[in-house]
Amino acid sequence: MKYLMLLTALCCSVNLFAQYDGPEWKTPSKESQAYNEYRNKSTVPPYGLAKVKALVKSIPWADDETARMDNKTYLALSLREKFTYVMIHPEISSQNCDPIPPVQDEDKKIFGRLPDAFSEANWSERQINFLNSNRDSVMAIIRESVIRSKRMGVNYKNAIQEINGREMIPFLIDTYNTDKKDHDILSLLMLLMMKSEYTPFMTSQSYRKLYGPNADFRAYIDFNGANEELILKRATDFYSTIRK
Amino acid sequence: MSTLLKYLPVLLMLTGIHSVYAQADTSFVHIPAGEYMLGSKASILNPARKVRTAGYYMAATELTNAAFDKFVQATGYITEAEKRKNALVFEPGLEEFRWKEDSTAYWRYPNGVSHGGIEDKMNHPVTTISYRDAMAYCQWAHVRLPTLDEWEIASRAGASSLYSWGNNRDSIGRYANIWHGRNHLVADTSDGYMYTSPVASFRPNAWGLYDMYGNLFEFCEGRLPTDKKESRMVHARGGSWWCSKNSCNYFNSVDIGRVNPVASFSNQGFRVVKP
Repeated sequence: MKYLMLLTALCCSVNLFAQYDGPEWKTPSKESQAYNEYRNKSTVPPYGLAKVKALVKSIPWADDETARMDNKTYLALSLREKFTYVMIHPEISSQNCDPIPPVQDEDKKIFGRLPDAFSEANWSERQINFLNSNRDSVMAIIRESVIRSKRMGVNYKNAIQEINGREMIPFLIDTYNTDKKDHDILSLLMLLMMKSEYTPFMTSQSYRKLYGPNADFRAYIDFNGANEELILKRATDFYSTIRK
Repeated sequence: MSTLLKYLPVLLMLTGIHSVYAQADTSFVHIPAGEYMLGSKASILNPARKVRTAGYYMAATELTNAAFDKFVQATGYITEAEKRKNALVFEPGLEEFRWKEDSTAYWRYPNGVSHGGIEDKMNHPVTTISYRDAMAYCQWAHVRLPTLDEWEIASRAGASSLYSWGNNRDSIGRYANIWHGRNHLVADTSDGYMYTSPVASFRPNAWGLYDMYGNLFEFCEGRLPTDKKESRMVHARGGSWWCSKNSCNYFNSVDIGRVNPVASFSNQGFRVVKP
């Protein structure tokens, strides 16, 4: 009995020492926190905004933030109003594990995935259909809106990924180069290269690290000059191949 | 003999042998009173801490379709997915983290009418229900959802590692119905199941609790320190059949998910606690 208790105590000790630690969580730096806020901000399109907001407010099922506008009202919106609606009001809930858990030194990383456009919701099928069916217009509106507001919100980047907006690569690079602050534009460039299975990217170390067999949804590469330059160069080369 | 029985779980744990299989449904496991180490130093959502419990009884399995059916038969209850037609289901071919709307889906047709009903799956866990549906069941059955801490104590079965068996993820396939494919573009039935498995199809943890990881995300009560004050989101734990090591690897004792209380996903369910 004594030995059993001793063995049990030893086992418990081992368990305590074996507690899952990982790198200890520390409060992120001010720069990291500021970057987190920056990269999670959406862009609110100005097109028919007051009208769309009023219509969203009048949707029944007020206890569900993702409740949808009825079809008749939705179909009566102009293209630009629909764009605004899609960008500010996702119509379905997102999955339990969808959001990327908080990370440290966010400003020093280039992630494989974009942050969610909306933290607790996603676009519905009709909203995705709208984006894809009006792909050219959507890209033109995003371009216009980004030039006007001088930033590209997380919802815009997600929309570009959704429609595989690879024609926007030069614009994305120009936007990135304005202040080189938005590393998610680099992520978006990689996602576009992956979507098209661009061989130089698919055979790269970055691909293996971010999207390879052992990569998970939290994967990242370090943000540094070499990685930045490589992504921009690859994306430029990729764009030159798709124009032919 | 009685001493041997008393210490049997410890002996089995030390030898790496876990409890024998049992096709349990509503049986309950007593979680002993005491102090437990929860969370992880690496997590801000679930920081390392010591908690105390007075003990409680946790269902050995997730709640089954058979049990939920009894509730619906007795009360005529209509689930949120039936009322709102807002169920979110899965079929292979969808991009990562993408779910499909299906107005025909609810607990009797968890992935929509086109994927068939539960007639021969009454021993599977009930799914495509919302948090509110789970609460309605609990009220009727005089049980409750576990708190986030109670769920974690039970899932750890005395361990303080990421999984109840240690920190090595490679053993997950013996204990949990999860997704083993690299992505969700192609069906994965490598462990015998693409969607849910019958409860208790995989090994239990050292305390005799089945499917604490995988099969379904299980609704819990409680809020996280990082929850916004105005947020109505609720939490669920343990990952599900959809979760892979690459996407949503929440099939462990540390990670905590969150979901809209009226959303009905086909990887969402619950187990109950008795006072």
